[in-house]
Amino acid sequence: MQGDEKLVDGAIALRLDVRTYRLVAIKKAAYRLADRFTAVIGTVDADFVDVTLRFRPATTEATAREGTRAFYQELLDQELREHVAEETGQIRTLILAQAFSRTGLFDNE
Amino acid sequence: MTLGAHFKVRSEFASSSYRLLPLRFGRLDGDRYVATNDVGEYVVLHREDLETFIRGELAPSHPSYRALKSRHFLFDDSSRVALDLLALKYRTRAERTANFTGLHIFVVTLRCDHSCHYCQVSRQTEDRASFDMRREHADKALALVFRSPSPAIKIEFQGGESLLNFSLIRHIVEEAVRVNAFHGKDLQFVIASNLTRLDDEILAFCKQHQIYLSTSLDGPEDLHNAHRPLRDGNSYRAALAGIERVRATLGPDYVSALMTTTPESLGRVTDVIDEYVRRGFRSIFLRSLSPYGFAVRSKLVRRYDASDWLEFYRRGLAHIIDLNLRGYSMREELSAIVLQKMFSPTGPGYVDLQSPAGIGIGAIVYNYDGSIYASDEGRMLAEMGDQTFRLGHVDTDSFESVMKESSLIDVLEASLLESAPMCSECPFLPYCGSDPVFHRATMTDTLGHKAFSAFCQKQMGVSRHLIQLIEDNEPARDVLMGWAR
Repeated sequence: MQGDEKLVDGAIALRLDVRTYRLVAIKKAAYRLADRFTAVIGTVDADFVDVTLRFRPATTEATAREGTRAFYQELLDQELREHVAEETGQIRTLILAQAFSRTGLFDNE
Repeated sequence: MTLGAHFKVRSEFASSSYRLLPLRFGRLDGDRYVATNDVGEYVVLHREDLETFIRGELAPSHPSYRALKSRHFLFDDSSRVALDLLALKYRTRAERTANFTGLHIFVVTLRCDHSCHYCQVSRQTEDRASFDMRREHADKALALVFRSPSPAIKIEFQGGESLLNFSLIRHIVEEAVRVNAFHGKDLQFVIASNLTRLDDEILAFCKQHQIYLSTSLDGPEDLHNAHRPLRDGNSYRAALAGIERVRATLGPDYVSALMTTTPESLGRVTDVIDEYVRRGFRSIFLRSLSPYGFAVRSKLVRRYDASDWLEFYRRGLAHIIDLNLRGYSMREELSAIVLQKMFSPTGPGYVDLQSPAGIGIGAIVYNYDGSIYASDEGRMLAEMGDQTFRLGHVDTDSFESVMKESSLIDVLEASLLESAPMCSECPFLPYCGSDPVFHRATMTDTLGHKAFSAFCQKQMGVSRHLIQLIEDNEPARDVLMGWAR
C-alpha cells in the first residue's frame, strides 16, 4: 500500500496495478525521475507489475520515501498525459497538416 | 431568502461539451501547474482544476475556462476556428526554420593576445600564422554563404582575436558586398573582438560598411581581468577604450558586450550589472560557462553547477527589473528570448534555442583551416578531438553535400524536442531548444538524458521563474512584457 514502503538493501519494492497506471506511464515516470533512483520494472502478471526503486548507496529512509512519493505523483501526471495524448493526437496531426498544407514542403504524391 | 447553490445560472450546470486541444503540462510550484500549447501560449492552473479540465468536466463558468478557450487549450461549439488559428500560428513560428541558414561564422584566425582561462576555442599564440584562414578558403566559404536561400545573411567574424587577421576580414567584406549586388540579400557584418587591436583604419572600414562589433565585458575591472589575462596589458581598460572609440566613430548602437559567469562573479551579479549600467549598456546577457576548450582543461566549468547559475540569474534579473522600475531601461537577453517565445507570434531568431536545433540550418561555421562545422560550439568540440559536428571542407564539399550528405540530417532529426524523451511532454518545450553539442560534450550523446542535463535544468529554471514573476509580481510583469516585443 502506498506510504507503507520500506527501504530494504537500498531499494523500495512496489506492486502497481496496470489497470490504474498504464505500463507506458510507469516507464515514463521512471525515466523522468532517473536522477533520484533507478527503477527496475518487472513483467506484467495478472494486472500487476513489480517495480523496484533502487537508490544510491547511503540514501536515507526519508529520502527514499520522498522519492517514492514523487514517483506516485509523477504516475498520476503521466496517466493524465496519456489521456491528453489519446484525445488530442489526431487533432495535432490535423493542425500540423493544415499548418504546412500550402508551404510547398510536401510533395503532392 | 437566497436560492442557494441549486439555483445558479444554466451555464454553471452545463454538461461538458468541449474538446481538448494538444497541450503539455507540468508542475510550476507547490500545487500550481503550467499548461502550454504548441504555439507557446500558457495557462497556470491548480492541480485539481487541471485534472477537472482534462477529464472534460470544467464548467464554462469556471474562472479558467475563458483563458483556456482564448489561448487554444480547448474548443467548443462557439470556437470552431480554433484549429485554423492554431495552424496559422504554428506555421508562423516555423517559418524561420524554412528560411534556412542566416548566420555564417568565419573563424579568420585562432591566434589571440589574451589567454582567457575559460576560452572555449583553444586559441593559439599570436605568432603562429598557420592558424589564420587562407584567402582561397575564405572565397570558397563565401560561395557557400550565397547558396543559402535565406533572404537575410549575417556574416560574423570570430577568432581567436579576429582583428589579428583584419586584412582577411576586409577582403571577405568587400567580396561579399560585391557578390551581394547580384543577390540582393539583407547583408550584415559583425566582428567579435576584444578590441585591443582597434585602430583608425579598422574603425573607418567598419563605418563604411556599417559593421557591428561584439566584445567581452565580464564586469568590474577585478572580475573582468581575473580570467582574461592580456599579455603586456590590461584587458578591462582595453575593452572600455575600444567600446568608447566604436561609439564615438560608428554610433552608440554599433558595439555590444557579452559577459561570462565565472565562479568569482557568482556572488557579484549586481556588480556585473552595475558595470554595464556605468558603461551605458541597455542590455546584458547573463551567460554561464560552456563546457568546451580551456574551460574544461582548467576545470573552471566544474566550479559551479546549474543551480548556482540559476541563483545568480534570479538575483540578477531582480536587480535589472528594479533598475527598470527606477527609470533605467535595460533588459536581460536570455529572458527576452524566452519571453518572445511566449508572447511574440514569430519568436526570436536566436539559433541556439530552436527545435530542430539551429546547427547548420540556422548557423554554420567556416573554420580557419577550411573545415565546415554545424555550429561554433561544434568547432570548439572538434578542437578537443570530437569531430561529430564536422560537416565537410570548403575545398571538397558543395552546399548540397554539406546539407544533405553529411551527418547533419541525423543530428537534426535527433534534435527535435517534440520526439525526445521527457522533452516531448515538458510544458517548457515551446520556450526551449535543442543543444546537441552541449549534450555530446557532457554526455557523449547528442540527445542526452534530460533528467541529468544541466542545460535542461537551466532552461526549465529560467522559464519557470519568468512565468512565476508574470503571474505573481505585477511590477515585474510590466517590465518583462516590454521585453517580449
